[in-house]
Amino acid sequence: MNTSDVIEMVGVEVADSRRPGRGPLAGVDWSVARGECWVVSGLQGSGISGLLETAAGLRPVAAGELKLFGESLAPLRGDELTGIRKRIGVLFSGTGRLFSSLTVMENVTLPLRYHEDLSLSAAAEIVAPLLEALGIESVSASFPAHLGRSWTLRVALARSLALRPELLLLDDPFSGLDSGQFRWWRTLIESVASGHPWLLGRPATVVIGTDTLRPLLGLGHRFALIDRGAWRVLGDRQNVLACEESGLREVLGDPS
Amino acid sequence: MATAGLLRDLTETLPRLTAFTLITLGTVLTKTGHSRAVIRPLIRQQVFRAGARLVPMVCFLGLILGVVIVGQAVAVLQQVGAGNLTGVLLVTVVVRELSPLVAALVVLARVGTATVVDLGTARAMGEVEALEALGIDPIHYCVVPRVVGFTIAVMGLTVYLMLVTLFSGYGFAFARGLPLTFPNYLSGIAAALSWIDFPLMMVKTAIFGSLTGMVICYQGLAHPIRLEEVGMATTRTVAICGIGCLLVDAAFVPIYLLL
Repeated sequence: MNTSDVIEMVGVEVADSRRPGRGPLAGVDWSVARGECWVVSGLQGSGISGLLETAAGLRPVAAGELKLFGESLAPLRGDELTGIRKRIGVLFSGTGRLFSSLTVMENVTLPLRYHEDLSLSAAAEIVAPLLEALGIESVSASFPAHLGRSWTLRVALARSLALRPELLLLDDPFSGLDSGQFRWWRTLIESVASGHPWLLGRPATVVIGTDTLRPLLGLGHRFALIDRGAWRVLGDRQNVLACEESGLREVLGDPS
Repeated sequence: MATAGLLRDLTETLPRLTAFTLITLGTVLTKTGHSRAVIRPLIRQQVFRAGARLVPMVCFLGLILGVVIVGQAVAVLQQVGAGNLTGVLLVTVVVRELSPLVAALVVLARVGTATVVDLGTARAMGEVEALEALGIDPIHYCVVPRVVGFTIAVMGLTVYLMLVTLFSGYGFAFARGLPLTFPNYLSGIAAALSWIDFPLMMVKTAIFGSLTGMVICYQGLAHPIRLEEVGMATTRTVAICGIGCLLVDAAFVPIYLLL
């Protein structure tokens, strides 16, 4: 294993949270190096969400070995596990799993307030530049239920960036966005991957899960495909375009 | 069939609830003082929600119970010439038994059920995983404030309920013109009270409150739940909490008999 690997999976079987013993995806061998931007594609229900939750250390592996930042996750408990999780930002699919009983500001500041023991006003002062960068400062007093999906996703992104993570896992962030929103997200992800001012200029490692690959061909450095329960690392953009696999053609949206 | 189902629920739940309680206790011990800026406001919020906001309702219940139970009991005792037993009867019924149990059941009915729905929905919507993703311990953030808040709420409401019940009962007896002066009424109660009644009442109400909080959090959070299962979890919580509080109440009887 390369010491600069952020995620290292060897023979990993992703566990199914509802049906123990029946993992939707097996045999995942995957190394994500620091600073890379990966796009993992697959049709809906292929197991991308499960893979990203596993990579975030939220779901124990059913088989195989998972290392995050060079540390095996299996024996970690308590503060050690928390330390790893604080280095990872996760944007969940759908509406980002925001806390419905908290306002936007409370949602975004929660990780800071919890880990740094800060008051709401002190944490709000710290995250003000982040809210401004994501264009959500005007909705900071709203509850998530009162926002449209594109705004909710931005709030969820702000929350996942609040602790200035080194690894950002984005589960289907582009689904249902119009072309303007899509451009905004693409620019932001490029900025995060190359060193956003909020991240103090440090490039973050980014993994994007998607069911529509073509618009992201210019964004990712490396690509992988989940096709009918099988994991395949495709390589760079040239390899993707040269690949003739039918599963890949489906996520590229090519006519069959 | 329903009883068999309830018994099965209880026997299945008990070991898991015990494990959940031990984990929560471990979290309380290891994380006391951690993230005070977040946890303390949450505890205050729960004390307000399950305690302060229910004071008017508990006072109203106390007024009714005072008339129905205390007023009638005092009147009957006076009629049969057993007025000297008034204090003993009121301490046994109102102070030791009725007030803690009714306070716990009010908290369960008014706030507990809504809390199971809140927590169950949050769990079903994946908010617990979102907390974990942020490195936030769901037990510390969701369970500890509720259990502590419910415990304080039941303890406080018991005192309000007890005082209002005793005073309204005397008010009813006075209104009926019974030959019982207020100083005699109070001194009868004071004589029947033992010093150990106070710590025992604190312990009992604390157990009722923490048991209610634990069962609520366990049913809402401890295992993956679908949205359609939230209603069932709520009814299960009411049944388990009700039976649990009665069993705890029964466990205190031998202690009181030894006094």
